[in-house]
Amino acid sequence: MSELATKLDHVQTRFEEAVAAATDERALDAVRVAFLGRSGEVTTVRRGIGALPPAERPDAGKVINAAVERMESALADATARIENRAFEAELAQSVDVTFPAIAPTTGSIHPVRRVLQDAVAYFERHGFATVLGMEIEPDYYTFDALNIPATHPAREGFDSFFISDTLLLRPHTSPMQIRTMQSHEPPIAVVAPGKCYRRDAVDARHLFQFHQIEGLLVAEGIHFGHLKGMLTGLCRELFGADQRVRFRPSFFPFTEPSAEVDTTCPKCKGRTSACNMCGGSGWIELGGAGMVHPNVLREVGYDTEIYTGWAFGFGIERLALTRYDIDDIRRFVECDPDFLTQLA
Amino acid sequence: MRVPISWLREYVDLPADAQQIADRLAMLGFPVEEIAERPVITGVVVGKIVAIEKHPNADRLQVCKVDIGGDAPLQIATAATNVAVDQVIPVATIGAQLPHLKIEPRKMRGVESQGMMCSAEELALPAEWFEDGIMQLDASSPLGRDVVDLFGLTDAVLDVEVTSNRVDAMSVLGLARELSASYGAPLRLPSFENPGTDEDPDGLAPRVTLDSSDCTRFIAQRFDGVRVGVAPAWMRVRLALAGQRPISNLVDVSNYVMLETAQPLHFYDAEQVRDGHLFVRNARAGETLVTLDDVERTLSPQALVVADSERALGLAGLMGGATSEVRESTTAIVLESANFEGVRVRRMSMQLALRSEASSRHEKTLAPALADMGAARAAQLLVALGARAYRPHAFGADLGASAAIELRARDVERLLGLRLEPQRIARHLELLGCGVALDGDRLSVTPPAWRRDLTIAADLVEEVARVEGYDAIEPVEPAVPAHDVSSAEYQLETKLAATLSGLGYREVLTYSLQGQQVLERVKRAGIAASREPVEVRNPLSEDQRFLRWALGPGLLEYFARVDAPARVFEIGHVFAQEQSVTEIPVLAFGFSAEAIDEPAWHDTHFLRLKGDCEALLRAVCGITVEATRDVKAGLHPGKTAVLMHDGREIANFGKMDPRVTRSFGVRLPVYLCNIFLEHVPEYRVPRYHPPSKFPSTYRDLALVTDFDVTAEQVSTIARRAIGELCLDVRAFDEYRGPQVGEGRKSLAIRATIGKYDATITDEEADAAIARAVEALRADAGATIRT
Repeated sequence: MSELATKLDHVQTRFEEAVAAATDERALDAVRVAFLGRSGEVTTVRRGIGALPPAERPDAGKVINAAVERMESALADATARIENRAFEAELAQSVDVTFPAIAPTTGSIHPVRRVLQDAVAYFERHGFATVLGMEIEPDYYTFDALNIPATHPAREGFDSFFISDTLLLRPHTSPMQIRTMQSHEPPIAVVAPGKCYRRDAVDARHLFQFHQIEGLLVAEGIHFGHLKGMLTGLCRELFGADQRVRFRPSFFPFTEPSAEVDTTCPKCKGRTSACNMCGGSGWIELGGAGMVHPNVLREVGYDTEIYTGWAFGFGIERLALTRYDIDDIRRFVECDPDFLTQLA
Repeated sequence: MRVPISWLREYVDLPADAQQIADRLAMLGFPVEEIAERPVITGVVVGKIVAIEKHPNADRLQVCKVDIGGDAPLQIATAATNVAVDQVIPVATIGAQLPHLKIEPRKMRGVESQGMMCSAEELALPAEWFEDGIMQLDASSPLGRDVVDLFGLTDAVLDVEVTSNRVDAMSVLGLARELSASYGAPLRLPSFENPGTDEDPDGLAPRVTLDSSDCTRFIAQRFDGVRVGVAPAWMRVRLALAGQRPISNLVDVSNYVMLETAQPLHFYDAEQVRDGHLFVRNARAGETLVTLDDVERTLSPQALVVADSERALGLAGLMGGATSEVRESTTAIVLESANFEGVRVRRMSMQLALRSEASSRHEKTLAPALADMGAARAAQLLVALGARAYRPHAFGADLGASAAIELRARDVERLLGLRLEPQRIARHLELLGCGVALDGDRLSVTPPAWRRDLTIAADLVEEVARVEGYDAIEPVEPAVPAHDVSSAEYQLETKLAATLSGLGYREVLTYSLQGQQVLERVKRAGIAASREPVEVRNPLSEDQRFLRWALGPGLLEYFARVDAPARVFEIGHVFAQEQSVTEIPVLAFGFSAEAIDEPAWHDTHFLRLKGDCEALLRAVCGITVEATRDVKAGLHPGKTAVLMHDGREIANFGKMDPRVTRSFGVRLPVYLCNIFLEHVPEYRVPRYHPPSKFPSTYRDLALVTDFDVTAEQVSTIARRAIGELCLDVRAFDEYRGPQVGEGRKSLAIRATIGKYDATITDEEADAAIARAVEALRADAGATIRT
């Protein structure tokens, strides 16, 4: 028995030395295997029990079990100590949080599309559908059906790009009014965003290609107040809740009454003569709108005694210029990675 | 149009503040582009020179006694040389404020000077448009009268934009009428009574023959006793403020009437009109005419001229001719106040590249009645200048009464959402010059003779809204009714854009119109154009001549510009000239990347592109489509694939042909995918397959096959042979080289095998693999590499 106890003491002593020498968890594991493992030193000692007289065996077992318990507890303490040391070391680290980030490979949608999507989302929330169209349109859809007579200056090849005598690049998204109404019975509530073309010389305010968003609501009981309501809501959605919207009389062949729509300059919030966004007027021009001309409704076979409607067409680049405070419309097509990154 | 506020005030009382007037005009539909403020001028009065003496001490000075209606004349020394006794002139008195000068008592070479006589320039009028030296006022001007007040010199001038339907308002009177209606302030109209009542002298009555239906009305009126000279100061000042240079009393009268009423006029020297007989006719081919601007113009029959029996005298509604121009010696004139078809004038103006104030009005087609009104106003002014007016002769269609338009008060409410009493509607329309007969809710409205734009009830509703003010209409959110229009196309674009953005691609916008040089670049690369581009008939410049037939070139230009690895996409339409013009919505995405050093049979970038393409389609249509090899112009012939679905090409992708890449100046290899939006199938909801609860196993096989056996063929054969135990088969490595032999390649595949109801045994797996190996040998000539 005492021989066994002595062996156990030796084992214990070596165990304590090994634990003290272990500096990481892996070393501790090795200690555990060497002493407490299936063929570890304690097992070797335990085998000695068989050689003891039967009366001593239970006590011997107890002694060994107590030693094992102590050793396991010492291992647990050592593990915790090592873990804590690791935590302390890690927690002692610090970084300069102001160091430039490592940028992920991100994509982006174009600012023109983003504004377009925000405008569309507003209308879809109010029950409008969104339709797209073709960019080459016959003059019937671009002009005739929109109450623009053959003698109108816009038809003389001065403002529009022509492909043939009757085909042209659409100068506005309004053909989608006709196409939608011809393929659907009223009521109709659509917006039609898309690319348009006009023969404008390119400068800081003009591109020969640009995007418009067309809106059309035709149903019973629709009036100009509804047009004001929706477009006021749109401006507030895009530019902020305190936006004011102004409707000025104007002239378009396909609406009567007609209006130009302005919103308060989101940059200077009023008449500030130096404002480079509104030119000091305090207003940003968004585009044209009005009640659909009865000739247009008649052209698509809608009963003007039952149905009334409104339509509008806004330039999306103009909205985007205003929203992002962009100085030059050409930036939209210049494909400058810095521009796209800044507005992503 | 430049409109002096002072001129507007002659017809209607207006607020003092120019900005307020401008805002009101804008809200009436006449936006003001600019408010040109006038400098402050005070203390200038009308004076008359009653005596002139030489200055005792200076040869170049004279000392004038000037009566300004006070007790004693002022003594004013001047260096001006155009002064003479009895002249009526503007005098800046002591304390007067001029734009750059304050007048104080002073001595000029020892002689006391009690003020200053002013030139036009000192009153902030363009010096070159007025006499040199002291400005000459009208003899009838009351002495001592404030000159600033008399001429409205300090009132701002508005630059007003007038929409094309409102040519009647391209006039001071037209705008005054709008303001009068809006403010509810009375309109002080000049008389439109023509003072010419005398019969013409024998044989001198003007006659007009209208040989073109493009002249609808022509008022001809003879005046004699005309003395050509300088127009009265009030008229010259008004014209100058309106931006019109004063020329002579006759020319000024015609311009004045045009600016006042919108009706352009023309005066002919009566001596120069053969037999007093004018013709309005098409020009003869090759006929020449020297216009007032001293340019000889060769005409075509598209031009409309006013002529006598021998020759063209002027371009109708556009510009007069030099030969019949009023000159110093003119004593008798024939006035033309005519109405021409706008389209005709506009086309002539465009063809001759010539515009004038007259054509800018005629091209919008004036109301015929304005011809009579313009003639009447001109006659009044000419008579006031001492001319004798004979009776006007009207040619062309009679002025019919305007047709009445029926309007119901509820039409106004129906369109505007604004309820107005019928009486109020009637009042608004009357203020604009309409005749209104009111019967309960019904109004019978006769538009004013000078307006051609009011033809239907909706037109009148707009008039009512303008006078009431658009601001009076309450914004209301409409209850949008249910309808059946689909947003599918838009949703597809939106989802594609969002997914690509998530895959790290940046959206760009490039021009749809391209120049010859893009075609040249493709040609230079040795690529035959797959499609004929669509040509624009009237590009603004050569680099806009063709509609793009692909999005690739635009993206290549982007890659060339960035010259570093980049990932971009664009959604846009492409165009081709086939039997007819075709237009196809396309999405192109791609990247440029540093080349990877890898064996010729492997292209990591290609597989990455394929991965993005598959991920994109899974996101938008919920399916995966197997790629098949193909050849596409512009893409690398050995590294191009298409995705076909239901017999339609959804997409093609691959490495760009390096010759094209180089031709566009891109240094890095480019990988590009085109997706044809109309062919993208509708989203199919994927079904969930729960994984087996039992572990599966896998076997890797190293096969040796011919080059042309594809990974897809091998996988399909293996999958079929393994049968329902097959969970997946995929190729993961390829090798070609001497070890595997000429024309052969080594292909490594991994087959994953398992069961849904039990753990698969090694025996079952081995048996399955043996079936696969046998099938691969039989169907693909594949052997197991040893």
